[in-house]
Amino acid sequence: MLIRILKNSYLKRPKPVFLVFLSIAMGAAVATAFLGIAGEVSHKMALELRSYGANILLEPTASEAGGFLREADLPKVKTVFWKYNITGFTPYLFGISEISSGAKKERGVIAGTWFAKRLEIPGEEASVQGIKGIAPWWDVQGHWPEAADEAIVGAALAKRLGLVMGGAVDVAAGGRTRRFRVAGIVTTGGYEEEQLFAPLVTVQELLQLQGKVSRVLVSALTVPMDDFGRKDPSKMSKEEYEKWYCTAYVTSVAKNVEEVMGGSRAKPIWQIASAEGALLKKLNAVMLLLTILALGASATAVSTSLMASMAERSKEIALMKAMGADRLQISAIFLGEVLIVSVCGGVVGYLIGGQLAGLISRSVFNSSVASPLWLFPTAIVSALVVALAGSAAPLRRALLVEPVRVLKG
Amino acid sequence: MQRRRWLFNMLLKALAHRTGRTLLLLAVLAMASSLATALGVVSVSMGKRVAEEVRKYGANMVVIPQASRLDLGSGGLNFGSIAEPAYLKQRDVEAALAKSGLTAERSFHLRGALHWKNSDLMVEGVNFADIRRLFPWWQLRGAWPAAGETVLGLDLAGRLKLKVGDELELEGASRSVRLRVSGIVSSGGEEDGLLFLALPELQQALGLEGQVSLVRLMVTAGGDSLKKSAAALQPLLPAAKVSEVRQTARTSEGLLAKVKLLMIMVTAVVLVSAGSSVTGTMSTTVLERGKEIGLMKAMGATRWEVLLIFCGEAALLGGAGGIAGYLLGSGIAQFITKTVFAASAAFVPWIAGVSLGVSLLLALVGSIGPMISVFKLDPVRSLRGE
Repeated sequence: MLIRILKNSYLKRPKPVFLVFLSIAMGAAVATAFLGIAGEVSHKMALELRSYGANILLEPTASEAGGFLREADLPKVKTVFWKYNITGFTPYLFGISEISSGAKKERGVIAGTWFAKRLEIPGEEASVQGIKGIAPWWDVQGHWPEAADEAIVGAALAKRLGLVMGGAVDVAAGGRTRRFRVAGIVTTGGYEEEQLFAPLVTVQELLQLQGKVSRVLVSALTVPMDDFGRKDPSKMSKEEYEKWYCTAYVTSVAKNVEEVMGGSRAKPIWQIASAEGALLKKLNAVMLLLTILALGASATAVSTSLMASMAERSKEIALMKAMGADRLQISAIFLGEVLIVSVCGGVVGYLIGGQLAGLISRSVFNSSVASPLWLFPTAIVSALVVALAGSAAPLRRALLVEPVRVLKG
Repeated sequence: MQRRRWLFNMLLKALAHRTGRTLLLLAVLAMASSLATALGVVSVSMGKRVAEEVRKYGANMVVIPQASRLDLGSGGLNFGSIAEPAYLKQRDVEAALAKSGLTAERSFHLRGALHWKNSDLMVEGVNFADIRRLFPWWQLRGAWPAAGETVLGLDLAGRLKLKVGDELELEGASRSVRLRVSGIVSSGGEEDGLLFLALPELQQALGLEGQVSLVRLMVTAGGDSLKKSAAALQPLLPAAKVSEVRQTARTSEGLLAKVKLLMIMVTAVVLVSAGSSVTGTMSTTVLERGKEIGLMKAMGATRWEVLLIFCGEAALLGGAGGIAGYLLGSGIAQFITKTVFAASAAFVPWIAGVSLGVSLLLALVGSIGPMISVFKLDPVRSLRGE
C-alpha cells in the first residue's frame, strides 16, 4: 500500500518532484564541492607559496673559517622525519674566479649547483632536486644545463662580458681553467644576475673541493608560527619539546634537517617563512568562512524547497485523514517520499559536486583532486537530515489541520 | 490608469494573502542574492587584501647605481660585493619616483665599511621607521634603536661577542661614530652579518651626505605588470639600474591571479548551484497554482495578462529579496574581511546591481519556466482539479 502510494505520488506529479530533487541535488553539490576542496585548497596554496623560494638555509657552523658541508650528507635530507614536507633542496658551492670571454675578463662568483638532478635514495621514492624546482621565478633564456660543461650565466654578467647563448666562457680558479658552454642566461633581479652557475661536480673539480658544498637551500611545507612555536626550544620541558618537534614549524623542520647534515646549522629564512605563515593563515580562514557560508546557504535552499512543496499539500493530507489514516501513516508516506528524493538528490549531488571540485582544482591549481570517500556518506546523510528538517515544520502543520475545514476549501 | 492600479492591487493582495509562501520565497531569494553579494565583495576585497599580504615578502623592485652590481636575494646566498662601490643621490631617486607617478613605498640603504678594532665591519645605513614597516620579517631581540644606537646581525654579534647594551666606537672615512647596541636582528638572510645604523649617521661618518647605494621599492602595481613599471621608471633614472625582483614580484603576480581565479570559480559554483536550487523552489510554488491560472483564464484573461501578473509578482519578490540580500550579504562580507584581514571590505557599488539582478533573474526564471507548461493546461480541466 505504502509503496503504491509512493510510486504514484512520483509518477503522477513528476515536475514538482523533479524540482525538489533538483534543489536537493544542487544543495548537496555545493556542499560536496566545498568540503572537497576546502581541505585541498590549504594544501595547494601552501605548495603554491613554496614558489616564493626556499625557507630554510643550511650553512656550515664554522662559516667564517671557510667551512663546508659534505655532499654525501645531502640525500639524508630526504630521509628525515619531515621528509614529506620537504618539497625540494639545492646545494651550492661558491668560489671567486676569473671569468673571461675573448678579451673581456673580470673577477666574479662561480656557483656550483644542481639544476635538476635525479636523486635516487634506497627505500625512498626517486625525486628530482635542484634550482629548477625551488626557484621557479628564474627566467632562463635558452635551456637548463644538461651536460657537465654547460653553464647558466647571470644577465648582468653576460652583458658585461658580451656572452651570448651557445658561446663559450672560461673560468679560472686556483691555477686551473675550465671552459663552459653558455646554455642559458638568467634574469632574476637578484644576486643571481652577477654569478655563473655550473653543475656542482664540475665546480668542485675546478675549485679542488671534491664532495663539498658551501650552502644548502631547503624548501619545506610548514605550518604558520604561533605563540607556542615562537618559544625557545632550549627552555622547553620534555613534553613541550616533543610537541614542538612534531609540529611542522619552520624552526622544527630546520632543526630536523640540521641534525642529519654534519657540521651544519639551519636558519629559517624569515623573509619567506614569516610572510608565508601569515598569508596561509588568512587564506585558510577565508576558505573556512566561505565553506560555512556555502553549507548554510545550501541547507537553507534545500529545506525551503521542501517547505514550499509540502505547504501546498494540506488538502491531500486532509483527505487522507478523512479516510481514516492516522498520523503515523501520513508521516510515513510523506517522510518516505522525502527520503527517496533526498537520497537520490544526495547521490547525484555528490557526483556533480565531485566534478565541480575537480573543475576548480584543475583550473586553479592544474592538479586533479579526488573527493575523499568519507564525503559520500556525509553528502547523503546531510542531504537527508537537511531535507527532513525542512519538511518537519510543514508536516507538523499539516498534521494539525482539521480535515473538514480544509476539504471545504 | 485604472487597469494598472487594478493589476498592482491584485499583486499586493496575492502576496499578502499567502504570507507564509511570500516570506519563504523572500527568504530564499534574499539568501541567494546575499550569497552573491558576500562572495562578490569578498572576491573583490580578497585581491586587494592578498596583494597587501604578499608585500610582506619584501621589495619587488630595486634601484641600484648603474655601475654597481646586484647582490641581494633571499637566504644569504649572495657573495657580498666584490665590485667598487657606487652611489646614487637620494634626492634624484625621490624626484624620479614623484615624476613617474608610481605608488611605491621606499626604503633607502647605504652600504659601507667602518673600522673597528683592527678590522672592517660591513655596515648598512637605513631608516629604521621604513624597516619596521617594510621588513616585517626581521626578528629583533632587544629594542628598535633610537639616535646613536645600532642593531647588530645575529652572526656578526656572535662573532664580535657583543650583546645588547654594549657600546662601540666605529671609525669612518670622515668621522667616527659612537653607538650603543640596542638590539640583535636575525632574518636568515644577509642581514645576519651586518651592522645597522641610522642612514644620516652613516652618511656623515662616510662623508657621503645625501647618497645611497640601494633603494628598495615596494610598488603597488595598478594593473600593469611590474616589469612595465620598472621599464617606465628606468628612463627617469639614467644613472641607475631599475630591476624587478622576480622572486617576489613574479611569484606574487602568479599567486594573486590564482587567488582571484579561485574566488571566481567558487563564486560561480555557488551561484549556479544555489541559483538552480532557488529557481526550483520558486517553480514549485508556481506549479501549484494551476487552479488560479485556470480561473483567470476562465474569466477571460489572455495568456499575456496572466504572464504579466505572475511576472509582476516575481519581480516584486525578486526586488525585495535583492535589497534584503544586498544588505545581508554586505554584512556577511564585512564580517569575513573584519575577522580575517582586520580591515573593512571594499565598497563596490556595482555589487548592489549584481545582487538585485541575481534575485530578479532567479525569481523570473523560476516563475516563467513552469508557466509555459501551465499555459498548456485546459482551464476547464485545471479548474476541475485534474
